[in-house]
Amino acid sequence: MAPVLVPIAYIVIVFGGLFIFSFFYRKHTSTQAYEPYFSSHPERNAYVTLLQKTDPPASDSLLKSALVRRAMADVQRVMRIREDKPALQNLLQKGSIGDDLWNSLISAEKELEAEIMEVVAEANSFVEGWGQVIFPTANEMMANEKMRVVFDNISEAKAELELKYDVKAKITATIGAAPTSQPRSNGLAPSSAGTDSVVSSDGEASSTPGKSAQKKAKKRR
Amino acid sequence: MSHSHSHAPGEEHSHSHSQGGPPQSPMMPAPDPALQALIEEDFKPVPLSFSEDRNNAYCLKHRLEKCDACDVDFVGLNRLASLLAANPSLLCPPPANIVTQKLTQVVTATKDEGNTLFKSSLHTAAINRYTVAATIAVSRPPWEANQLMREELSTVISNRSAAFYEAHDYISALADAEAVIQVRRNWSKGHFRKAKALLGMNKLRDAAEAVKLGLSFEPTNTELTSFLAEIEKFEKKTEDAKLEARRQEKTQ
Repeated sequence: MAPVLVPIAYIVIVFGGLFIFSFFYRKHTSTQAYEPYFSSHPERNAYVTLLQKTDPPASDSLLKSALVRRAMADVQRVMRIREDKPALQNLLQKGSIGDDLWNSLISAEKELEAEIMEVVAEANSFVEGWGQVIFPTANEMMANEKMRVVFDNISEAKAELELKYDVKAKITATIGAAPTSQPRSNGLAPSSAGTDSVVSSDGEASSTPGKSAQKKAKKRR
Repeated sequence: MSHSHSHAPGEEHSHSHSQGGPPQSPMMPAPDPALQALIEEDFKPVPLSFSEDRNNAYCLKHRLEKCDACDVDFVGLNRLASLLAANPSLLCPPPANIVTQKLTQVVTATKDEGNTLFKSSLHTAAINRYTVAATIAVSRPPWEANQLMREELSTVISNRSAAFYEAHDYISALADAEAVIQVRRNWSKGHFRKAKALLGMNKLRDAAEAVKLGLSFEPTNTELTSFLAEIEKFEKKTEDAKLEARRQEKTQ
């Protein structure tokens, strides 16, 4: 009896142990989630929240605006992935980064694809055919907004430059005339710019495009 | 997910490339339900409330557009929503190639007014006109082709920089010139204005550097090359003057 039992017990113990290990190991690796490449999607959350508001419901223009914002965030993410992918690929081949990061990039890319399809479908549900336009629109909006930020930041940039060059300017005596003329014109320019931008960036933005929009609408028909 | 270990990096590469750029695909296949579920799972409600006309969103607690405590920023959202609400005939932002011709006319007219003021050396008045023109240019509907706003804004600010320069406000001229460069990097004019403003403040080396940067975008620009030569000549002159002064000190 004993000579048969010992090898059987040996086999059972060895293979049982292997089986138990592989069972738990597989369970562990399958539940392991990659750290997401992009932490969260605030624009998407805002859009869905707005969509779910029923009492009172959000206005149509707010919903559409939120969808455009969401598309803009997606465009930014697509560009980010396009930029990062070759670099990460390189690092992965060199062994500088692990599989985890790479896999999270790949899954983020897949998710982004689904996300874009969803945005297109949502856009089409508002206005038929908007789905083809919304991403180009988001692209233009990003470029235009960047310019707007540059323009709005001129006075801040000026203050920084003043700090930077005021220190140096005292070394050379030849620009003695500049500091006297600077406060006058500096006091003038930002104040006029400030009032103008406050008045007309709201006034113009809502009034001139208003006229133009009607024109456009006529053109489209 | 254990397949990732058996994958060679090269294999993954070719496999991922077949997906192509997502926004370019003209035919939209149905999205993968598993991924959609993943997207839905990710959803977290944002605490927000509306303005009276329900066109603007604010954070729930503080009624602010941009709230750091609630970590929300609805400024861009609300701006576009108001713009859409002001144009009820606009069902959605139209394609980028439909542009407002009228806005271009207004910007050009205001800029020309500024130019005539500039020519009659009323620099402060010219600066004000240019500022108005720039504000109008920047209020162009954001969905329109960005080249238009880029060109209009950069020319107007470049002119304003010139006006500031003539008014001997070199710092403002410099700030405007840098804005021009940020908006339109490969345009030689912005670099030229920057160099001029720096020269006004007697920063010869910085001015030369600005010109060289401009030349790297447009190596054949005659305005820049002649200006560089001018700066170098000026630099030499000041050095000679210094040497001369030193020599005189020694002889005394």
